Formats: sequence, C-alpha cells, structure tokens
Amino acid sequence: MIIRAIDAVNETVGRVVSIIAVVFAAIIIYDVILRYVFEEPTRWAFDVTKQLFGFYFVMLGGYALRHRAHVQVDILTERLGPNALRVVEVLGYIIFFFPFTWVFVTRSWEFALRSWNQGETTYGAIQMPVYPLKMAMCVAAGLLLIQGVSEVLKILLGQRPEQE
Amino acid sequence: MFGLLVLGLFMGHPLAFVLGGTAVLTAVIAGKPMVLGIVINRIFGDVLDNFTLIAIPLFVLMARFLSDSGVTDRMFESLRLLLSRVRGGLALAVVFISILLAATTGIIGASITVMGVMALRPMLQYGYAPTLTTGVIAASGCLGILIPPSIMLILMASYSPLSVGELFAGSMIPGVLLGLSYALYVYVISVLRPDLAPAVEPDEKIGRGALLRMLAFEAMPPLVLIFGILGSLLAGIATATEASAIGAALALVIVIVRGRFEWATFYSALLETGRTSAMILFIVVGATAFTGVFNITGGLRATQEIIRGLDMEPWMLLTMMMFIVFLLGAFLDWTGIVLLSFPIFLPIVQEMEGVSLLWFVVLMAVVLQTSFLTPPFGYALFYLRAIAPRDVRTGQIVVGVLPFIVLIVVMCLLVALYPSLVTWLPAALYG
Amino acid sequence: QQSWTMTTTWPSSLELIETDKKFVELANKLTAGELSIEFFEGGALVPAGEVFGAVESGTIQAGGDWPGYWAGRDAAFSPLATTPSLFNAVDYVNWIQQWGGADLYNEIYGNYGMVYLPYGVTNNESGFRTNEPIVTLDDLQGKRLRLSGLEQGKLLERLGGNQVSMAGGEIYQALERGVIDGAEFSTPNVDWSAGFQQVTDYWATPGWHQSASIFGVMINKASWDALSPETQEKLQIAADATLLWSLAFTEKRATEAYAEFNEAVEINRYDDETLAQVQSMANEVIIETACENPNSAKVYLSMIEYLEDYAQWRDASAPYNLGRSPDGPDAQALRDCM
Ligand code: NA
Ligand code: NA
Repeated sequence: MIIRAIDAVNETVGRVVSIIAVVFAAIIIYDVILRYVFEEPTRWAFDVTKQLFGFYFVMLGGYALRHRAHVQVDILTERLGPNALRVVEVLGYIIFFFPFTWVFVTRSWEFALRSWNQGETTYGAIQMPVYPLKMAMCVAAGLLLIQGVSEVLKILLGQRPEQE
Repeated sequence: MFGLLVLGLFMGHPLAFVLGGTAVLTAVIAGKPMVLGIVINRIFGDVLDNFTLIAIPLFVLMARFLSDSGVTDRMFESLRLLLSRVRGGLALAVVFISILLAATTGIIGASITVMGVMALRPMLQYGYAPTLTTGVIAASGCLGILIPPSIMLILMASYSPLSVGELFAGSMIPGVLLGLSYALYVYVISVLRPDLAPAVEPDEKIGRGALLRMLAFEAMPPLVLIFGILGSLLAGIATATEASAIGAALALVIVIVRGRFEWATFYSALLETGRTSAMILFIVVGATAFTGVFNITGGLRATQEIIRGLDMEPWMLLTMMMFIVFLLGAFLDWTGIVLLSFPIFLPIVQEMEGVSLLWFVVLMAVVLQTSFLTPPFGYALFYLRAIAPRDVRTGQIVVGVLPFIVLIVVMCLLVALYPSLVTWLPAALYG
Repeated sequence: QQSWTMTTTWPSSLELIETDKKFVELANKLTAGELSIEFFEGGALVPAGEVFGAVESGTIQAGGDWPGYWAGRDAAFSPLATTPSLFNAVDYVNWIQQWGGADLYNEIYGNYGMVYLPYGVTNNESGFRTNEPIVTLDDLQGKRLRLSGLEQGKLLERLGGNQVSMAGGEIYQALERGVIDGAEFSTPNVDWSAGFQQVTDYWATPGWHQSASIFGVMINKASWDALSPETQEKLQIAADATLLWSLAFTEKRATEAYAEFNEAVEINRYDDETLAQVQSMANEVIIETACENPNSAKVYLSMIEYLEDYAQWRDASAPYNLGRSPDGPDAQALRDCM
C-alpha cells in the first residue's frame, strides 16, 4: 500500500517533470533565434532556463531511483545468494542513503526557509525570485527519501521485480 | 573516508548516494555536524544553479531522438556497405562515426549506447570477433569526453583557471590522434588476423548507384546534423549549451522529415532522458557533497601537505599524480575524480616552474580515458554489458578493451613527451 | 584560543583573492594565541554565491566577499559594494572611517546576524571590452553586454544597451563565440588574468558602471562575540591595514596591466560630455532604485551627504585634492522618498 502510493507519486512526478526538457530546449532556441534574426534577445531566458534545469533534474532523483537508473556496481553483489543480497542492499540504504537524504531534506528545508524569509531574488535589471527553486530542492529531497523507503520495503518484502 | 567509499561501491549501492552518505558520515564521525550546511550550499550552487550543466540533458535527448527512431541504424548500414572494400571496414566505421559523434556530444553513456545499439549486432552477425567488436565500440565511444565539445572539459574549466576555449583547443589534437590510433590498430589487426574481422561477402555488395542513393538519404542527414552543431560552435553562433539545444531540435527535425516520428517514441525518449540526466547529475550532487566535506574536515590540507612533503623531482610528482588518477579511474567516474583531484593537484602544479597547467589538465583528460575501460568500475563496460547479447561474456568485453587501454597509455606518453601536441593549437588560436 | 574556518567568493585563479590572503596573514600574526583562521580558496568549501548563507548560518565563521553579490537579499548591499559614477576609492575610505559608513555596513549585515569588516578597496573598474569600438553612447545601442548589478543594468538600459547576466567563468567563451558583444568584469589586472585580451579587440574606459569597489569579511555574530575585545580590535587593525595595502597594490597592478593591454587592444576613452550625460542618468537610476528600497535610500543618502560635506574642502584644495566632487544625485530627492 505504502509502496504503491510512493511509487505512484514519483512515477507521476517523473512523467510530468520529464517534459520540462523540451521547455528549456525551446526557450534556449527561441532566445538564439531572437538574437540572430531579430537582434533583440530576451532578458529572462538565461535565468529561466537555469532555474528550469535545476528543477528538472533534482525532481527526477526519486523517479530515477524508482526505475533503478542510478549507476551502481554489482560486480561483487551479483555473486551473493538472494538472502545475503537483500541484507547487503538494505545495509547500503541504512549506511549511505538515509543519512544523506535525511540531511538533504532537513538542511535544505532550513536553506529554503531562509531564502523565503529574505525574499531572495536574482540581481540585475530583471529580479527573479530564487526561493522557489530552493523550495523545489527541499521537495525533491523529500521525494527521494520516500522513494528510498519504498525501495527498502520492496527489498524486505521481496517484491522487487528483477528489472535491469 | 575512501574506505567507506569503496565499501559502499562494493556493496552495490548507487554511486551517487555512496558519495553523499560518505560525506554525511564523515562529517558526523569527525565531530563536525555543523559543516553539513555546506553540503546543501554546494548542491545548490554547484549543480542546481549551474548553467553549463544544461548541456547534459540536451545532448542525451538528441542521442535518444536519433537512436529510438532508428535513424542511426540506417546511417550505419550504408556506411558499412561504403566501407566494404576495406579490411575491418565495419570496425573502422565505428571508429570514424564515433569520432564524429564525439565532436557533437561529450557524454560517454550517450555515445556508447548509440554505437552499441547500432553496431554491436551487425558486427557479430558478419563474423567479427566479440573481443574486437566490444573493444572498439567501448573505446571509441569514450572519445566524446576527450574530443570537444565535452562536458568533462567544461567541468574541468570551471574548476580551474583555464578557459573552456583553451581546454577545447588543447585536447583537440590528442583526442583526434587517439581516435586515429584506434583506427590504425583496427586496420592492422584486421589485416594480420582476418579471422577477427572478415570482409563483406561479394553477394552483399551493391551497385554504385544504389550505394550513393543510400548514402545521400540515410547517412547524410545525421552527418549534416553533426557538422551543423560543430559548425555553429566553431562559427561563433552558439555556446556549447545552445549548440546542445540546437542539436536536440535538429535531431527531432530529422526524425520528423524521415517520417519516423511517433508520439509514443517521443515521450519515451523524454522519460529515458529524464532518468539518464538525473542519474548523471545526482552523481555530481554526491561528488560535490563528498568533496566539500573532504576539504573542510582537513582532507584537502592533509593531502596537499603529504604531496608537498614528498621530496620528489617535479616529473616524478607529475607521474605519480597521473598514476593516482589512473588508479582512481578503476573505481570512480570522471566527475568524482575531477572534483576530488583538482583542488589537490592544481595548486601544486601551479607552483611548479615551467609546467603548463593546460598541458597538465589535458594530459589528465587523456589518462581519464582509461577510467571508463579499466575494471572493476569502467562505466563503458557497464553500458556495453547492458546492451550486449547474453552470449557475449563479460570477460570478452574486458579482454577486448585491453589493447585500447595500451593505446591510451601510449598516447599519454606522447603527450607527456611532446607538450606541444596540447599547447600548439591554443597558442595558434589565442596567441 | 578560537579557531575559525574562512573562505571567500574568489577562486585562486583571480587576483582579488590576494586581499583576502593578506588579511588572513595579518590577522593570524596579530592574534597569535587567541585566534587562528584557517583560510580556504573560493569554491573549496562552498560556491561563491553561497558564502553569505554559510557564514549567516554559522556553518563557517567568516567569509571574504564583495557586498554586491548579496543585493538580491537587500538592495542596500549594492551601494555598500560599488556605485555607478559616484564614489572613488578615497571616497569609500573617508566615508567608511570618518563619515559613518562603517556603522551602515554593520547595520545591513547585522540584519543577517553578521559583523562586517571592510578590508579591500579598488578604484575604477576597467569598463567594457568589446569586438567593435565603443567611443560614444551611440555605440552602446542594441549591444548585448555582460554587466553585473541592478543600478548598473538599469543605467545600461537607459543608455540603450542590453544587460546580460553571466557567471564570471562563462564570459570568456561567450565573448569568443560572439554570444555577447562585450563584457565588463573587474580591474585591468584581473581582466588580464582572465584572458579577455585573447577574445576582444577594444576597451572603452573609464568604467562608469563601477567607479570604485569595496571588499571585506563577513563574520558570524556569535563567533565575533566569542572573541575578547582585544582580539576584536586586532582584527579591526588587520582590516584597516589591509584596506590601505589593497588600494596601493591594486593601483600598481592595474597600471602594469594597463600597459600590457595598451599593447594588445585599442583603448578608447569617452569624452567629458558623454561622461556628464552618463552622470545625469546614473543620478536618476540611483534615486529610482533608492526610492524602491528604504535601506538602499538610507545608504545612498549617507553617501551623498558625505559628498556634499566633503566637497567644500575638496574643491577648496583643488588642484591638490583627492579626486572629483561628482555632480551627484540630489540629497533632497532621496530624503523625500524615505
Ligand atoms: Na566531445
Ligand atoms: Na574504471
């Protein structure tokens, strides 16, 4: 139940957020065209594409984990029996994944909150708020953390399909 | 700290989180949990808020559009027939197409997957030995990171006082020479050992007219795309980031013009790109966390002192640094190696009399070519393993890349002995 | 014995880091036995844009900076860092040390739990480096120019150019590829080390966008309070000494670099009439910006009041005076919108 809910959340996020690649590609090309054809580039393209890019990849962290797309090395573990493998995999999550994602979530929450309280903006003739991206980072860290929970549950319950 | 890293890697946990987790544990064990703040500062400032990294998802997207729609399959087939009169023609085609691909993208995973998907099966079918086949695909697929434009060189520039322009120019000649040395090796081995690389059967040969038509319709568009991107970069129309966006758009246009466009394929290319980009960029996230904690807990200072304390001749010190890079390459990917070693090595090299920093960085880029191929953790091997048929054994892949590792080492020696291979082009371009 | 971790916004490749190093060296000598500062070059701990947050949150105790980087949090950081066509280096030193400027630094940084010691001052920045000559204001029309700062961007747009924001590390390639028509970055010596002479042919002086600049160190308030008054005073002495050193050091290095640039590129100077025009537009921009940001207005007003006060003696002592009395913005206009 929990597994299904978490997987569904990250699957939906992944399916929606993946489309953003087209958006920032389009903005970059739009800006190049405006620059060369109309000699009047946009003032916002640089900041907007940069922020979209940050949003794009960081939100996909949990989605990539759900699809086991993060590079890992199985040269030793592929020789382990199924039970030993499960123990080693869960230990990996406990030693590395959860400490990191926990710090990622809690610290980025403080980080985003400070930015929000200060109403932080970019600095130039165009002033764009910075805190939405910082908040997105915190949300993304949370998505990654819960996906880790789902993955561990799957390992423990032996529910993980052996996909590539 | 490195012990934890190796432990995590061997446990088969994803690299990105092994790096991040090691950073967190180290800070806590060192009794400095306060420094964890810099982990977030670094992740935001170095990865999320970093315009140059936008090229990563865009190049992946371009490669996906082309390969998922099958456009590159046909290109490869026509080139194979074109090269039918040459010994080892298919393997040579792999090398040359890889050099061209290398000139458009700078992403290992993308190049190897593209070449592997296109070339692996046909080559095995036509009787090429599995070792030669996998070796040439894996090694050539890595050229993209050395021949500009390259994400690795861009990252190296942003972590050193060198400009992207200088680094691109500096690695051009070593990169192309390395590619040509692969071609030469393939040709020589095909002549010496015809059993490894059979020629195209006579009944397969097609008429000149048909061949030309095939070339014009199948091979040209992707090649035009490749030269278009390269041209727009060289002509000063676009930055590397913009060229990557243009490349993705042109790839889509080619797919549409070829009538291969389908919404389902388009969407799955987007999803696949999202996963691959997140995978690559989360390694950057983990590596930046690791490096920050390593530096602030005294690792940077200690390593610098140790290396400075070594009473060595500069050349010995340089050799040792390159050897460390080579060894690290057996375990880490280039992102981790660059982020770890640059803050330690570069200040030392900058203090050396008469040693060009540009030369040092390019030499390191050449050495890093081995990191994709050296077991146990060679990413090229993993990418290829993922797409190779079951009957190709992992051992064959490893044996296959060995001659190419030797070629890389030879190229390193050449660059080390003749620094002008690196410095001549930047000097000619920028004075 | 306290031990601090300090970093800066400058990577080791930029000469600006010399000022930070000078301060750390002096401070460590003077406070031996009471405080030891471990200094890390820019980027080793946190990226440049995150130094503020790292000191504010107490992750590290001190961070060298150029205040203008933080103007996205409070526009008042901008005049604390530089002015368009207003202060020169001596004006900053006078104002900070004798006309109440130091208090304003501590008030603005104090809002974020930090103490500030200005310890670096450089005079005029280079100005635009381009591939087509800029001689008059007409030459700026429609040009895409890399320029940092809010007042600076507004001023450039009034003059007909387009502001492009870009990280320092990306400028070189953008110039080389023609993505931008020109760029300003820093003082001549720093510009030379960034290699802009390789990718541009012309240089337009003076740098009206940034008539002088201040650098200094942000110190977490709790860490500062943990020091004895004697140690605090020693840090202040190290900062003052470094401030003076930085002025002469940068002017010397800029002179050397100017000579090198003179060999490599064509240098054009705006005429006096053009500069007067820039001045009046700069005044408008300053008033407009200040009226939108109360803290910014407060800082600018203090600066203008200093200029008006000092002008009496400065002009009387001409031609042996220190710099010009600018025909700056109207102090009353600033008071009116406070
Ligand atoms: Na490349
Ligand atoms: Na390796």
